[in-house]
Amino acid sequence: MNHKARLFDIMERSLTGPVMAEEDFDLEVVAMGIRKIVKKYEIKIGDDSLINFDKDLADRVWNAAIEFLAECGVYSKDTGRIIRFSEKEIRDLIKIAPAETIYGTGNDAVLEVARTPDDTRLCLNNGGSVGTPCPNEYFIPVMASYMQEPLVEMHCPTTNTYNITGSEIRTRTPLEIAAAWEQVSLFQHVAGMFGRPGMAHHGIGISVSDVGHLSAGHRMQKTDSHCFGIISELKADNAILNKMAHLVMLDATTSPYANPIYGGMGGGLDGQTVLMCAEMIALSVVFLANTCGTSPTHPIHFCTTTKEILQQISVCFYAISRNSTLLTRMTQTMVGGPVTKTFLYEIIAATLVAVKAGISQIDGPRGATGAVSGACTGLEARFQGELIRAAVQIDREKSEEIVQKAYAKYKDDLANKPYGKPFWEAYDLKTLKPTDEWRQMYEEVKDEAISWGLPL
Amino acid sequence: MKNIFLPLSEAIRDGDETRGLEEIDILLGAGVAPVEIFSGCVEPTLNDVGEKFAALIIFLPELMLSGRVVTKIQAKIKPLLQGDDTDGLRGRKAVICTVNGDTHDIGKNMVKLMMEVNGFEMHDLGTDVPAIAIIKKAQEISADLICLSGLMVPSLPFMRETIELTRAKPGLEKVKVMVGGGPVTREWADTNGADGYADDAVGAVRMAKDLCGE
Repeated sequence: MNHKARLFDIMERSLTGPVMAEEDFDLEVVAMGIRKIVKKYEIKIGDDSLINFDKDLADRVWNAAIEFLAECGVYSKDTGRIIRFSEKEIRDLIKIAPAETIYGTGNDAVLEVARTPDDTRLCLNNGGSVGTPCPNEYFIPVMASYMQEPLVEMHCPTTNTYNITGSEIRTRTPLEIAAAWEQVSLFQHVAGMFGRPGMAHHGIGISVSDVGHLSAGHRMQKTDSHCFGIISELKADNAILNKMAHLVMLDATTSPYANPIYGGMGGGLDGQTVLMCAEMIALSVVFLANTCGTSPTHPIHFCTTTKEILQQISVCFYAISRNSTLLTRMTQTMVGGPVTKTFLYEIIAATLVAVKAGISQIDGPRGATGAVSGACTGLEARFQGELIRAAVQIDREKSEEIVQKAYAKYKDDLANKPYGKPFWEAYDLKTLKPTDEWRQMYEEVKDEAISWGLPL
Repeated sequence: MKNIFLPLSEAIRDGDETRGLEEIDILLGAGVAPVEIFSGCVEPTLNDVGEKFAALIIFLPELMLSGRVVTKIQAKIKPLLQGDDTDGLRGRKAVICTVNGDTHDIGKNMVKLMMEVNGFEMHDLGTDVPAIAIIKKAQEISADLICLSGLMVPSLPFMRETIELTRAKPGLEKVKVMVGGGPVTREWADTNGADGYADDAVGAVRMAKDLCGE
C-alpha cells in the first residue's frame, strides 16, 4: 500500500475507530495498559549499567511494545476515536518501513541507514539545537556556526523569535506563516553561503501549528527532514494529520517525533521504555515516518542525560534496532550549555549510549534544556560528530566504562543548571570561531575522553 | 495518623475507589465527623502522595488514581458537611490550561494534579486555549489563580496576552497569574508581568501557596 492509500486508511480509522473519552484513554488505556504489559513481559531494567547488554530484555520490550500498541492505538483528539491497528498489521507494516533514506540533495545528500546495536556504520549527525530561541540578530551567525562544521551532515535551525519585520511570532497566525517562510529561506541562503546548497534542513521548527507547514513546507526540498510532533502520549489531532497529509502529497521525507515524559503515563523506567518503543513504532505505522524521532524528557531536569533516561534510551533502541530496520532519531537534550564542561560530558555519555543502541540519526546537542536564548554553538555539534565516529570503533564494554566515567563527571551538577554562555559570548562574532575559553574547554574534555580510551 | 484512618489512607494510595468508599462508610458508621476524615486522613495522605510523586518515587498514573478516589470521597462526604465545616475544605480556585497555539498537556496535567492534591480547586480548560476563554472562566468561578503552561516559543506571546488581559479586566485585579513550561524562564515571567514562575510541578504548588498567602 503506498503512502497516499495508507493516509486515507488512517483517516478512515480515525473516523470509525472506537469512541473514548480522552481522560479514559490516558489513564485506562495508556497508563493501565503499560502497567499490564510490563507485568506480563516481566520488564525489569534493574542494574546500574547505562548501556544495555541484555538481548532477551530488549526482545521482550519489543514484543511488549507491539502488543501494547495493538491494544492501545493512537487517540484522535478531534474525532474522540482510537486509530487502531492489529498486531499482525503492525508487524507487517514495520517490515515495509524504509530501512534507509536519503536526506538532502546533490553533493550534500547523506544516507541514513538502519543500524544494528553494534553496527560500525555511522549514524547521521544532525547538528542543531531544535526549539532553542534565538534573537534575530544572531539567527544567521548561529546557523552558520553549524554549517561551517564538516561533520554536521544536516541541520535544524534554532527558533527565530521575531520575523524580519520585528513582529513577535504567534502560532496559527499570518506571523507564523511569514516566520516559517523566513526560516526556510534563511536556511537555504546560509547553506548556499557555505557551499552546501543541498544540505538537509530538519524543520520547520518554528511552525508549531499546521498553517506554517502547509504554507512553507513545499519550499523545502522533498528530501529535507520534514519534522512534526505528535501529542504525548500517543495522541494526534487534525492539525497533526494535516501536516502528515501535506507531506504525503509532497512525497517528502518525514521525521515525526514523540517525546514521552519520564514519570508520566508510562510510569517509571520499565513502563517508559516500553511506551517509548511503542511510540516509535506508532510513528512508522500511523504517522508514516521515514525516521522515527524522540527526545524523552525528565520531569525535573528536562534533559535526556539522567541515569533513567540514558537507560531508557539504551534498552528501547537496542530493542528496535535488534528487531527491525526502523530508522530512528534521538534529539539529545542536555542541562549544561556552551562554555561548560558539564555540557561536554553529557554529550559524551548521551552520544555513546545512542550509537551503541543502534540509533541511526542523532539530533542536537540541545544545550541548557533548549530553553535558554542562544544557548547553542556549532562546536558541540562538531564534538557530537567526532563522538559518533569514535563510538563505532569501541565495543559495548568499553563504551559502558566511558559512559560511566562521563556520567560521574556531570550527574551532581545537573541540579545546578549550568546553562553556560549564549552564542554571542561563546563565539567571536567576527571570525565565527569559538572563544579561547570555549575551545580550550572542549580540547581539555576531548583529551580526557581520549585518556579514557575513546579514539577521538 | 490515627490507626482508624490507615485503611482509608491505604485505599487512596492504592487508587482503589471501591475500598475507599467502603472505608468512608465504616468511618461514618463509627461516628467519625466528616471534616475529621478530611483533616485527619485525606489531606495528609494526599500530601504524602504528592511528595512521593515530586521525588519520582511514584508516578503520574498513581497520582491520578489517588486523585480519582479522593474525588469520589469528596462527592460522598460534601453533602454531609454543614456550615463552617465546609470552609476548611474550600480550596483556592485556579484556572489552568496550555495557552493558544500549543497542545502539550502532560506538564500541565502534572501541575494540575499536584495542586489538586494540595487542596486547590482546579478548573482545567485543556490545551490550545485562547486568552479570552481563560479570562472568561476566571471571572465565572471567581478564580484566585490563573496557571498558564506553554512548551513552544511561539505560544509565549499568547501567554503574555493573557497576563495583560487579566490586568485589564475589571474584577480580576486580585487574580494572580503563574506561568511555566519549557521556554518560560523566571526572567521571562518577571519581564512580562507574571506574579509567579515555577519550573516543575512541586515548585508550582509552592508558588501557588505563596501567592495565595498560605
